[in-house]
Amino acid sequence: MIKKQYTGSARRARNIIWNAAGRYDFDLPFMAFFPNGKPDNYFNMAAGLVQKWLDMPRLWDFFASYENDRRADEFDDLLWLGLENCVYEKELEERPILRQLRRARGEEFFREQQQLSRQQMEYQSMTVYTQQEYRWARACGRKAPLLSPREKRMAAALEFSGSLDTSGVLAAMEGFLRSFFRWQGPAESVPLRPAGALAKALLRHEHKRRDRLLVRCGTGEGDHDKARAQRHSGLGRFVGPTAEDEAYIRAVFGRCSLSEGERRILENELCVGRDQFCRLWVTRGEPTETDDRDALEVRESAARQRARNEAYFAGHSALIDHSVRALSTRLETVLSSYFRHLPEPSRSGRLRSEVAYRLPVLNDTRIFLRSGEETEQPLCVDLLLDASQSRMNSQEVLSAESYILAESLRKLHIPVRVSAFRSLRGFLVLEQLKDWSQSDCKGLLRYYAGGWNRDGLAVETLGRLNDSPVLQGRRRLLLVLTDASPNDSTPMAGEGLGLHREYEGQAAVTAAQEAVRALRASGVGVGAVFHGNTHNLPNAQQIYGHAYVRIQKAGQLSQGVSDLMLMLMRENVPLR
Amino acid sequence: MNRIYDFLQTEGVDGGLLRAVRDFWEKYPTPAGSAARVPDPEYYYYGNKTWELALAAILAGKNLLLAGPKATGKNVLCENLGALFGRPVWNVSFHINTDASYLIGTDTFDGQRVSFRPGPIWLCAAQGGFGILDEVNMAKNEALAVLHAALDFRRSLDVPGYEKTDLRPETRFIATMNYGYAGTRDLNEALTSRFAVLDMPPITEENLQKLISRRYPGINEKLRDQFVKLYSELQRKAESAEISDAALDLRGLLDALALMEQGLRSGDALEMCIVNKSFDAFERGLIRDVIAARIPADLTGDMVFAP
Repeated sequence: MIKKQYTGSARRARNIIWNAAGRYDFDLPFMAFFPNGKPDNYFNMAAGLVQKWLDMPRLWDFFASYENDRRADEFDDLLWLGLENCVYEKELEERPILRQLRRARGEEFFREQQQLSRQQMEYQSMTVYTQQEYRWARACGRKAPLLSPREKRMAAALEFSGSLDTSGVLAAMEGFLRSFFRWQGPAESVPLRPAGALAKALLRHEHKRRDRLLVRCGTGEGDHDKARAQRHSGLGRFVGPTAEDEAYIRAVFGRCSLSEGERRILENELCVGRDQFCRLWVTRGEPTETDDRDALEVRESAARQRARNEAYFAGHSALIDHSVRALSTRLETVLSSYFRHLPEPSRSGRLRSEVAYRLPVLNDTRIFLRSGEETEQPLCVDLLLDASQSRMNSQEVLSAESYILAESLRKLHIPVRVSAFRSLRGFLVLEQLKDWSQSDCKGLLRYYAGGWNRDGLAVETLGRLNDSPVLQGRRRLLLVLTDASPNDSTPMAGEGLGLHREYEGQAAVTAAQEAVRALRASGVGVGAVFHGNTHNLPNAQQIYGHAYVRIQKAGQLSQGVSDLMLMLMRENVPLR
Repeated sequence: MNRIYDFLQTEGVDGGLLRAVRDFWEKYPTPAGSAARVPDPEYYYYGNKTWELALAAILAGKNLLLAGPKATGKNVLCENLGALFGRPVWNVSFHINTDASYLIGTDTFDGQRVSFRPGPIWLCAAQGGFGILDEVNMAKNEALAVLHAALDFRRSLDVPGYEKTDLRPETRFIATMNYGYAGTRDLNEALTSRFAVLDMPPITEENLQKLISRRYPGINEKLRDQFVKLYSELQRKAESAEISDAALDLRGLLDALALMEQGLRSGDALEMCIVNKSFDAFERGLIRDVIAARIPADLTGDMVFAP
């Protein structure tokens, strides 16, 4: 459920890898960084070239075969030296600059070594260091260090030839480990010391900054596909939420703002078919008294997150104010150019026959009409924020971005409502952070992430909350801030006697797509601001057609959102 | 014989279509006094398949809609078609406020009386030109409804209060529309159905090589191939939404070569003509990484243009 969040450096590193591979459709098993945290461009390129020339899944299986060995990091670094040589030889003709880049990488290696602290030096494996020093000294024409006979044999073995295919490389890798480390294959790996695995996981980030060249990715829960599968248990025995679940939801999120009758009507309409195990909970976050320890813990966690959101908001207030100004200016331009301009008299344009007499009689040439400056803006906007756990690593940023959006619209006197959705224990919880009538957008700082996301049902539910007088006579737009990765622990009910299915993958995307399509058919313009990873782009495309923009940082918000709103205002965008 | 005709013959475009173009010239010679409006393109469009589709549509009397992402040569092809057929061209850039009076014409007072000041579409129809409707999807669909009669079988323009004007038979309209995965929209059905739609493919590496070689005949072939691959890599990066298409600028690449020819080093030339097209500092970093993985920064004009 937790997706990887890339920092700026990591994003740069993965771009170099993808570029070298010539493909952007794979997740990265390794990225390379210098000890100071800078991406190692040359080695990232080599990682991309491995993807281009060799069968990466097979190599990855090999790397995985010793990942629990305590020498795994050392093995990684050495074997990557071998792979580097192999792909260098394969690619050199196609990319002559590689020779120059390799030399520059060598120089960089020696510069970096001079800047390492004594403590950092101590963390280094001497075997790895010697082999790296030998490789890079030769690459940049320096005098190579003196090696023992074993080290010489090792260096020679690490020069994997460019003529090897994947099987050849695998054989070379295995042969290297067997010859020099007495490695007997995965079954014989030297296990980590007790608690070592946990320490390794916790310290992984530190490794990145300290002494490792190549960092294995995929260390957080949910990074691997299997993680999600593990979380889905009890499939086929699902019976829907209990009264205990409802009490928990009430305790955590506050009382439901709909009356019992209204909620039942909504559930009868929406919680049918594949969503029949779900219940709805629409709340304004009004707290209730509780002594449920779990619920109190979640509330405390939410309060801590609110404090973090506020601190982020205070620390970036200049940037946020600037973004609000930029977006509202841009939106104003877009809106004023889109909406009908009220006509005004002019000296050319459409002739007004009823005042044409003024030309010969009064010599008044302003007898034409042209488009004037004044416009009408009959519009209102619903913002729907994905508040599932996948947003956990970017809660402050999302809170600030949604504030920028809502505040910009409010400044233009466009009514805006902001809701966050998540699902938990079978309940789809729609939390209203700002209602139409509220003029203050600070409620958005309550945003925090947790739970799952059942996008389809959330869109349907928000679509039905349309009884406000604000909506009368206005075109309604719905902007969903999402990672386009719907995923819920409550399964989709099977049809007839059919088996239940998990709410995930293609089935969940299709459910969301159908919900968006239905809402569009009712006249609401639906678009998305996509914050997710590249591999979820096709989902965004499927769910929202062309009506989405990808935002990777706040700076892109004004351009992206104004373009998106313009597109939605022009017409209902058909799904592709 | 015109230069672009020779170019198409050399490229091996279908002979039957080219013969039909010659017949078109004989039937509809360039109108006297319009020579200044007939384009003289700096670049030629490469891609035989696209040429053949476009020629077939124009020769069959159809209007053409060129749809595709940035840097696929839509405007180059428009100009090339105008030049090939020897027709005067009216190029109308569409925007959000484009309306009927902007396209067809408007009433004005000429000091004596109220008269009609014709717009580009009216002039194009009256003189048998090619009307290029650039970025046609930028305008609101309702603003384009006035063109419906001109674009379909009626082939006429009817301005209220004035005579109806029939389009000359050689008049054609060529529209362009940009579509990306975000921020653009589709045309409505009523308008789209009045065009033959040509989906413009991105330029292939082979055609880009030809384009560069034609513009810079003295370029070092190995380096030319690296520049071509650099462009392909930027294209892939933009398609994957890792960078915006600001830096995906074919003109920028050709301009960078022009600057190198003038003596600028490759790093500076590419910085000016490609990297700086993006106004986002992080994105500029990503673009620099792609360039650094292909082109040394210290190439001089002598090295690039040495055979």
